[in-house]
Amino acid sequence: MATETPSDPETTGWREQWSGWFDGSLFTLIVGSLAVVVGGGLVQVSFGSFSMSILDAWQAVFNPNVIFNAQAWEAFLLGAEVPEMNKRSFIVWNIRLPRVFVGALVGMNLAVSGAIFQAVTRNELASPFILGVSSGAGLMVLLTLVVFWGLAAFLPIIASIGGAIAFLIVYAIAWKNGTSPVRLVLAGVIVGTVFGSVQTALFFFADDIGVVQSAIAWTTGSLTGTDWEQVRMALPWTIVAMGLALISSRQLNMLLLGEKTASSLGMSVEKVRFALSGVAVLAAAASIAVAGIVGFVGLIVPHMVRNIVGSDYKKLVIGCVFAGPALMVAADVGARLALNPVQIPVGIVTGLVGGPYFLYLMRKQDEMGEI
Amino acid sequence: MAQEQTTDPRTNGSSTASTDTERPGSESDGSLDGEGLVLSYPSSDGPIIDGESITVTSGSVTALVGPNGSGKSTLLKGLADQLAPDAGSVLVDGRAIQSFDKKELARTMGLLSQESTSPNSITVEDLVYHGRYPHRGFFESTTEEDERAVGRAIELAGCGHLRDREVGSLSGGQKQLAWIAMVLAQDTDVLLLDEPTTFLDLHHQLEVMEIIETLRTESDITVVVVLHDIQQAARLADEMVALKQGAIRARGTPEEVVTEELLAEVFEIDAEVDLTPRGPRIEPLRPRHDDDGRERPTERVSQADGGDG
Repeated sequence: MATETPSDPETTGWREQWSGWFDGSLFTLIVGSLAVVVGGGLVQVSFGSFSMSILDAWQAVFNPNVIFNAQAWEAFLLGAEVPEMNKRSFIVWNIRLPRVFVGALVGMNLAVSGAIFQAVTRNELASPFILGVSSGAGLMVLLTLVVFWGLAAFLPIIASIGGAIAFLIVYAIAWKNGTSPVRLVLAGVIVGTVFGSVQTALFFFADDIGVVQSAIAWTTGSLTGTDWEQVRMALPWTIVAMGLALISSRQLNMLLLGEKTASSLGMSVEKVRFALSGVAVLAAAASIAVAGIVGFVGLIVPHMVRNIVGSDYKKLVIGCVFAGPALMVAADVGARLALNPVQIPVGIVTGLVGGPYFLYLMRKQDEMGEI
Repeated sequence: MAQEQTTDPRTNGSSTASTDTERPGSESDGSLDGEGLVLSYPSSDGPIIDGESITVTSGSVTALVGPNGSGKSTLLKGLADQLAPDAGSVLVDGRAIQSFDKKELARTMGLLSQESTSPNSITVEDLVYHGRYPHRGFFESTTEEDERAVGRAIELAGCGHLRDREVGSLSGGQKQLAWIAMVLAQDTDVLLLDEPTTFLDLHHQLEVMEIIETLRTESDITVVVVLHDIQQAARLADEMVALKQGAIRARGTPEEVVTEELLAEVFEIDAEVDLTPRGPRIEPLRPRHDDDGRERPTERVSQADGGDG
């Protein structure tokens, strides 16, 4: 990479860097993922209770009056009043598309979060929820729905805060003259078990089936009824988290060399580990706030991407930003349309879609799971 | 270190984030002193090293030798600031080691630990680039200085032919060369190596020795190396330090240290020592079984030290 043509250092420098980041396999992955997201999105907008032909729906998606309308985007992204548009465009842009966008945001958050946790804990089984985030969020959801139902309006934020608190508890338990990956994972399992028990216990106190269903939707993850409001809620945090993850890719690579080496190379391992965990929790919390606890995406997407682009986190993080949405959007097509008119939580479908694919990879690859 | 720190064209203007003006003007001489060091692990009952001092002459190669569990790796970890001393101090270039910023220390002193792990799919070159970590700011991309240092390190470690190979596909000896290239790319005045030849085949043992010899003759890097093989140590080192049960039993040139008496006392072997042009040559004869209820090499030391230390 360093020696080819030393003639013009400036351009070769750039070219090297870009070719280093975007090699063929990563490019293929990005294009493939985008194709899945666009394809899944088009399927999503084509079906629904308001019947219109597929052609009509697609025309509504690419309606230039909406796409190039600053006012419309202001309405979508900043919550201003929605401008005049025809009914089909209104339905597609206000009801069907936001769900696709939310799915994409959730997918990239979970995938990147999982990738970070796999480096931080140096554990191939790590997922966004390994350090207690899901159990903390789940417990708070149940508490809110069953006990403090007056606060239900703040459920998304309460769930995220619950996840963050559980993460801090896990860190505090694991801390003894510093942490280690194993201590962190063990503490995560302990906190997860305790919180999980309390959560299950709370189900007994739920007095009507609606509360239980709502709780299950939250704890398995669902995109039902998501709207531009969810996009607005998740987008800023997603941008921050993705940006930080991309910037930190070199630190993530260093963590893979092990604590001793990273430390002797001058890295403050504890600080970096905590900061990166924080970024990963932020990403996970952003996805929990809009979609509940969607399992499996954060575990398998990093492995799928690693399988294609290798373990360099510069490529891995970028790959996850694209592959996460692909899995999530594809799974949501199933969640929304498979048992039409009944919608099932998307978390169930991510397991059903992702599990077999993960198995297939495992059978095909000898080195599957190695970080 | 040659310091032509020009603004790099590739940092794309973001170099405002960290200006590396604080890099020392390098009157650093690479001296390393440990004074009255007391070292222990949180899990051990007592100190492994109990109040030892060591002075490493700058620019020389110093070998730490001793039987398993003698505390030589522990001493090295203490010198490298990987293990905070209970008492005593470590001075690098005459400065207390705690006064160094972490990255600053990593630009002054490199450490190659005994067992190093890396992802299998990383290439040798990328691994070596990790050695430049302490020289780079948070947002900085690689500079020409980095490229040069990496090139030099790879050449010195003799792993140019492995440059684009994945680390996972290398043999143990080749891996070790790659790791050595990585610490060399750190471009430090002091280099600490923990048993770099253990578990390697003869060819790669000699390769590693040759690298250290090159460092001794062609650079003024100070090298402290823990070696299991006293013969190798005698051949390689300017100075040797022999440890037993956490105490320094002898220090000096190989000729002074490697004697039949010392081998009997420290290593508990009978051996013949011949002085040759390539340093003392040792022929081990038999282990000594003293009858006077000799103490076993302290178990707590060998436990806490994680094996060959």
